[in-house]
Amino acid sequence: MKPAAFAYCAPRTLEEAISLLDEHGYDAKLLAGGQSLVPLMNLRLARPTVLVDINRVDGLAFVESGDEVVRIGAMTRHHTVATSSEIRGASPLLSHAAGHIGYRAIRHRGTLGGSLAHADPASELPCVAVTQSATVRVTGSAGERTIRADELFLAEMTTTLAPDEIVTSVAIPRIRPDEGWGFREFVRKVGDFAVVMAAALLRVADGRVASARLGLGGAEGTPRRVTEAEQALVGSVLGAETIEKAARVAAEAVEPTSDIHGSADYRRRLVHAMTRRALQDALGRLEAGHG
Amino acid sequence: MSYRKQPKLLGARVRRVEDPRFLMGKARYIEDIELPGMIDAAFVRSPFAHAEILSVDVSEALAVPGVIAALHGQDLSGRVKPTVCDAISDGWQSSEFPALAIDRVRYAGEAVAVIAADNRYLAEDGAALVDVDYEPLTPLASVEAAQEPTAPLLHKGWKGNYFYRDRHAGGDPDLAFSNADGVLEIELATRRHGGIPMEGRGCIAVYDPIERVLTLWSSTQIPHLIRSELANCLGLPENRVRVIAPDVGGGFGPKSHLNPEEVAACVLAMDTRRPVRWIEDRREHMLACFHSREHYHKARVAYSEEGEVLALSAEVTVDCGAYSVYPWTAALDPGMSLFIMPGPYRIRNFRCETLAVATNKCPYGAYRGVARSANCLTIERAMDAVADALGMDPVEVRKRNLIRDEEFPYTSVSGFVYDDTSLIESLDKVCAEADYEGMRERQRLAREKGRLLGIGVVTFIEQTAPAVDEGVPINFRYDSALVRLDPSGSATVQLGTHSHGQGHETTIAQIVADQLTIPLDQIRILYGDTQQTAQGIGTFASRTAVVAGGAAHIASGQVRDMLAERGAHLMEAAAEDVELVDGRVTVRGSGTRGLSVAEVARATYYHPELFPFGWSPLLEAAGTFDAGHGTYANASQIVLVEVDPETGAVEILEYHIVEDCGRMINPTIVEGQIHGGVAQGIGGAFFEELIYDEQGQLLTTSFMDYLIPGPTELPDFRISHLETPSPTSPNGIKGVGEGGAVAPYAIMAAAVQDAIRPIGNVFVNELPLTPERVLGFVDRAAGRTDREARRSG
Ligand SMILES: Cc1cc2nc3c(=O)[nH]c(=O)nc-3n(C[C@H](O)[C@H](O)[C@H](O)COP(=O)(O)OP(=O)(O)OC[C@H]3O[C@@H](n4cnc5c(N)ncnc54)[C@H](O)[C@@H]3O)c2cc1C
Repeated sequence: MKPAAFAYCAPRTLEEAISLLDEHGYDAKLLAGGQSLVPLMNLRLARPTVLVDINRVDGLAFVESGDEVVRIGAMTRHHTVATSSEIRGASPLLSHAAGHIGYRAIRHRGTLGGSLAHADPASELPCVAVTQSATVRVTGSAGERTIRADELFLAEMTTTLAPDEIVTSVAIPRIRPDEGWGFREFVRKVGDFAVVMAAALLRVADGRVASARLGLGGAEGTPRRVTEAEQALVGSVLGAETIEKAARVAAEAVEPTSDIHGSADYRRRLVHAMTRRALQDALGRLEAGHG
Repeated sequence: MSYRKQPKLLGARVRRVEDPRFLMGKARYIEDIELPGMIDAAFVRSPFAHAEILSVDVSEALAVPGVIAALHGQDLSGRVKPTVCDAISDGWQSSEFPALAIDRVRYAGEAVAVIAADNRYLAEDGAALVDVDYEPLTPLASVEAAQEPTAPLLHKGWKGNYFYRDRHAGGDPDLAFSNADGVLEIELATRRHGGIPMEGRGCIAVYDPIERVLTLWSSTQIPHLIRSELANCLGLPENRVRVIAPDVGGGFGPKSHLNPEEVAACVLAMDTRRPVRWIEDRREHMLACFHSREHYHKARVAYSEEGEVLALSAEVTVDCGAYSVYPWTAALDPGMSLFIMPGPYRIRNFRCETLAVATNKCPYGAYRGVARSANCLTIERAMDAVADALGMDPVEVRKRNLIRDEEFPYTSVSGFVYDDTSLIESLDKVCAEADYEGMRERQRLAREKGRLLGIGVVTFIEQTAPAVDEGVPINFRYDSALVRLDPSGSATVQLGTHSHGQGHETTIAQIVADQLTIPLDQIRILYGDTQQTAQGIGTFASRTAVVAGGAAHIASGQVRDMLAERGAHLMEAAAEDVELVDGRVTVRGSGTRGLSVAEVARATYYHPELFPFGWSPLLEAAGTFDAGHGTYANASQIVLVEVDPETGAVEILEYHIVEDCGRMINPTIVEGQIHGGVAQGIGGAFFEELIYDEQGQLLTTSFMDYLIPGPTELPDFRISHLETPSPTSPNGIKGVGEGGAVAPYAIMAAAVQDAIRPIGNVFVNELPLTPERVLGFVDRAAGRTDREARRSG
């Protein structure tokens, strides 16, 4: 479990980092928190010949509160996402979910940008990003562009990023005071990767669901919103029955993956349970009067 | 002569004297040892579970700068003997386990070649370039596959794919079955997993061509046994082989084998004349550190209307993997099962057939609670099944069948002589501690609210410091201690055993301190170096406190006698008039201060003229203690769990333990042993599973896929003690190292079954109870077919 030989560069600026990526193409890899990449390198499943460490690049770790969104720099650590009062104020859903990532030591190293770029289907931040329709800002040799979170994830561990593109920040829409959120995941042991997770965001007006967002992670190769279940909720009076119905719809809508952590059937049942519980939590928060 | 009779330290909660170095990160494990010129080894491991090796080409690897040497199977063939570890039985088939596979690989992960280089990085670079040409053969990845009539035979000259088959019978089972009020049949499975020490395996081999001495530093529990087999494989006399086991970061059984990698490292060291280090990584550990626990049991149980178990008939099949391992043989688990299955119950009619199947999986070795956890599962689940069949309480059924106090010493149907235990008392006590009646009431109330609470009860007896006289290549009945008092009056104790978490530097010192009446910090415990200790066996099988503790007690008693005799002579008193109290030899009733141990020791070593000619100036003694077939510990446990019927998750709400390991040397250490054992048992009950696919590929090669419980998965353990002294061992000590790991499988299966009872009746018989398996049991309890279950999602 020792990596193959590689060259190591630690650029100070984004431009330098991009030109290194541009120069080495698929042979180069960015190193952020290293919590996913380094194990893969040690197992020699990843064999980059050039490692571009962006930990010293200025301006990638920040939290910027706006009226509509909170913008978070790609190098922001999970721990900060979980604990920063600015982020918590804007999206308690995101903070809460970040607290579920691995263990404390991992959260202190792992980064938001790394988590999105790595695109592990069982990771929390991509699931929340998709649920909340976050946008991801990336810079490459061709310049800057903004990608909708649901367009970032192509398949398990695969994104639409070009090899020379760097995620620089993520904009998360603020959760409004009249919205209720819920997040549930099933892990076999504390800190382990989730088998299935569900994130819910609901707004109720005049006693009926005005908008519903329901995102799933771990169930399929990429995180996604379950529009079928969202549609089942919108317009309904929120209660145990409607929630159960939406959970059932979600369970039927997914095409779950199957692996040693859970068969497709099992994942489907977890989707049902986690969805119901996340929606119940959202309802509970609405009833308690705080999103 | 008389001595201080009242033990001072035996039984005291003395703080572990070894802890400072562990807690401060100053312990010295294999990887902390730096030797000049040391090089690192990396192994090339078979990607196939079963294949012919057509050729091995190491030339490209040798061309990598920094790569120093390469070896493969053919290089060792004829030069190094393969390990042949045979049980002595008519039903045994012999096989060879070479250090590096020669013409055939028999499990994915088997070592095929080894590369030594300036560092591990380069060694892995080299290993990746070794070109092995394989011709894949049919992989036999399960007991069923290995037993197919068309299955290829795994070893030369075999009649079928098994290492060992045997049977044992006592009483008249046929008669008992035909006369019984009821008969039930159960099947059980525990899946393959392992001990997973925090520190993996590792070694450093050094050859000194001047002294012609081979030294192997190994992270092992059994340095002496390693020395014997290493010498045998390499054709060296044992006085030219030295094995040193430094601090070992967890043993648990997986480190009680001779590893093929160690033999290969020794050859590399002899060839290169450089120290060769091999540090296993976790992937190698999962693939190639011998696995355990894969048992398949079928049992028939005959019972009376009163709930008495009249007869037990069992078939035990163990998937023993590809090779028979040293020193245990592949008969370890199946052989043990022949005798221990009836456990703590008065079962007078018993029949057991056992089969050690050979498959294309990693070889099978020892792990804490060898064979015990699976057999405890079977007998305890049998008791639960009888209780269910008769509508009785599981505690009541156990009480009716447990061996009664007045029956000890009790000869079991399989011929074991149980010395003395507190079976019924422990069950009563754990019921009281857990408030069993109250717990049932709480369960009832919770069920009314739709919550699924379940209670499990287990009682077991455990042969600790066990030994068998027949069938084994090495009979490990004894161990040794050398106790040496130096001129300053401090003592050095050299043990033939090892300590890797058990705290023997403290507990053995407590025993010696009581004999010599000197303070604990005047006693130094050494172990782990075959050149510094008398021949010993090692630490495993809950034996060290009993056998090494016994040996140290005896040897230090002899030294104490020498001290008293010499002290009496110096004081011109009769030997029978002196006593040894608080480190001083005094004349009884004289009121004088007498002589300190140090004064007597100094006089003995440096003033022989003060003593009659011919008295030995050495204050030292070697002791051994033979525990015969062992001492019998027992325990009863109760758990309360809650099952989530939607996810299959199980939460442990309460875990009560009443344990009896005889006289406790140190209750804190006893409790620590129980904590660790139960934690590992919970791992096997819920989390740990080495999963092979049909091709014999291991799918669980990292902690992402192989889960072990952490503190967050473990409950508070509520432990209380009983102390029934062993009549067999000095100080009445019994073993406790493994006990914790014995019961969790059985108790968790019972508790989960009990929890889902409101949904329906189902027999929980397969471990680990992963959430998905639990849901499977929930579905069966609900009478849901697989198809309906799928839809209910
Ligand atoms: C024991 C353990 C448990 C874990 N548990 C969880 C868990 O429960 N949930 C979870 O979500 N994660 C978990 N993780 C993974 C962890 O969250 C990682 O931190 C995260 O997945 C990757 O972030 P990183 O900063 O460490 O990225 P790295 O490992 O440095 O990089 C990962 C990949 O992303 C690329 N990359 C990194 N940053 C950028 C960027 N700014 N732009 C473009 N590409 C980039 C890298 O080149 C690499 O390919 C766990 C990790 C460990 C070791």
